[in-house]
Amino acid sequence: MSFRLRMMGPLIMIFLAAIGYPLLSSFALSLTNYKITQRNATKFVGLAQYKDVLQDRSYWSSLTVTLIFIITAVILELAIGLAIAMALQNQKRFRNFTRSFLLTPMFVTPIAVGLMFRFLLNDQLGVIPALLNKIGINYDFFGPSRAIYSIVAIDVWQWTPFMVLLLLAGLESLSKQPFEAARVDGASPFYTFRRVTLPMLAPILTVAVLIRSLDASKVFEYVYAITRGGPGTQTQTIQYFTYKTGIQFYRLGQASAMSYLLLLIVISIVVVLFHRIEKVRAME
Amino acid sequence: MSSLFIKNPEKIRRWNIAGNFILAGAGIAVASPFLWVLFASFKSGSQLNNPTLIAFTPNLENWKIVLNSGIFQSALRSAAVGIITVSIAIIVGSMGAYSISRYKTGGSATRFGILAAQVLPPAVLVFPLLDLAYRLRVNGTLTSVIAAHLSLVLPVVTWFLIGFFDAAPKEVEEQALVDGLSRFQAFRKVVLPQVGPGIGASAIFGFVVSWNDLFYALILAPGNAATLPVRIAGFNTFRGVELGAMSAAILVSVIPVLIASFFIQRHLVRGISGGAVKF
Repeated sequence: MSFRLRMMGPLIMIFLAAIGYPLLSSFALSLTNYKITQRNATKFVGLAQYKDVLQDRSYWSSLTVTLIFIITAVILELAIGLAIAMALQNQKRFRNFTRSFLLTPMFVTPIAVGLMFRFLLNDQLGVIPALLNKIGINYDFFGPSRAIYSIVAIDVWQWTPFMVLLLLAGLESLSKQPFEAARVDGASPFYTFRRVTLPMLAPILTVAVLIRSLDASKVFEYVYAITRGGPGTQTQTIQYFTYKTGIQFYRLGQASAMSYLLLLIVISIVVVLFHRIEKVRAME
Repeated sequence: MSSLFIKNPEKIRRWNIAGNFILAGAGIAVASPFLWVLFASFKSGSQLNNPTLIAFTPNLENWKIVLNSGIFQSALRSAAVGIITVSIAIIVGSMGAYSISRYKTGGSATRFGILAAQVLPPAVLVFPLLDLAYRLRVNGTLTSVIAAHLSLVLPVVTWFLIGFFDAAPKEVEEQALVDGLSRFQAFRKVVLPQVGPGIGASAIFGFVVSWNDLFYALILAPGNAATLPVRIAGFNTFRGVELGAMSAAILVSVIPVLIASFFIQRHLVRGISGGAVKF
């Protein structure tokens, strides 16, 4: 066996054991009516679970909730992240400290972030509603049709730093010449931003948005810590819904079918992402 | 000299001031939740009922409750899971990443596989792992959590390392081969030290991923083997008295990662622009 294959061997083995096996086994589970409480009554049911899931209105509504969550969160993170990344790039003093400090939220345990904001935004004990009250505003952050946006705000707090990290790395890797040229020509900063920075940054923006979107599709901790899907099912994201089906109701077969359908969506997005990365790699 | 060519220095100055305002605003947004929870952790039950109270006599009651709640055992478990996961991931990942970076093993299919593995919905993998854990009678133990965390950490770490190997110069290694080292010796004694900082940053990053995971740990080991995030989730009650304890528990989980993050951030920016996530 050649050297390069021997070096790959252990990686392939662990990939097969920790990812390949569960992936196949999950597909097999999704073809049965497996319930962990009635393991002996397990029957092969073919694609029946998939049919049930696709006809389940809760599944579609949790996909919609997740989609609304992803879109609002990622747009906000992109806008705020770009502003911060550019400000950081132009910063003259205390560069390292500011960078380290502003990136901290992305390293914090998400469940702790969820509980922290549940406390801060609580309408009786939280400091933010209390301060709003003093200026005459009464806002229940986890009330109907608002809770999902409060969850978005929490995601923005925690993950904008990741966006900043990707965009800052991108900004610093751009060639300096076009910026020099724009400066010599006396272009305004806004014009430079629109006509030079944005177009040059476009491939990185696409990748950053895709990475963040895929990550945001996994949102679980904030929902688990704060709303448990409520009010009603307004914050029941797909990850939380799958967790509930599999763990609270023990329906592993159905939960596997649900997550496999999600996997199909995710993988098709990754194909696009990968194509983009390979294209840019080939250009270099 | 170059300022002679700028027709509108005033605009650029205003632009910089706006930038500083953005950074100051972001700094306040990042710092205030932490500060608030820090305050709350020193408040008594009745003081917590008054959220805007800032001047009060701090007391250590909440911290005593939390430190006696088994949180250290959970922190140790999390650390053990993280260290074992990351050690396996770094050893296996660096060998594989080297092979992929230098010899293009498997072509773009390998790279695609490693990228795709990072975005798998955790719900796809967790139920078979739970089922397998039941069959092997390791359910509720850390073994199953480590297996699950490997599926999470190994792809990320390998992806980062491929970038670091791509960026490392090849000359020294070729010289080592000429000098009579075997390929594996050259890898271990010459290549690995070159990408040392990259390996360190990847290891800490992988550790943070494992340390922060709630989903797998909650499903695979919810009871006596609770890791730190699972334990923290257990403080999720809303009686005023326990809010202080919850705040202290949050801080216990946050402090180690904040320290770790200060060590790797410089490397992360460099690693990403230097090829770790090459766009």
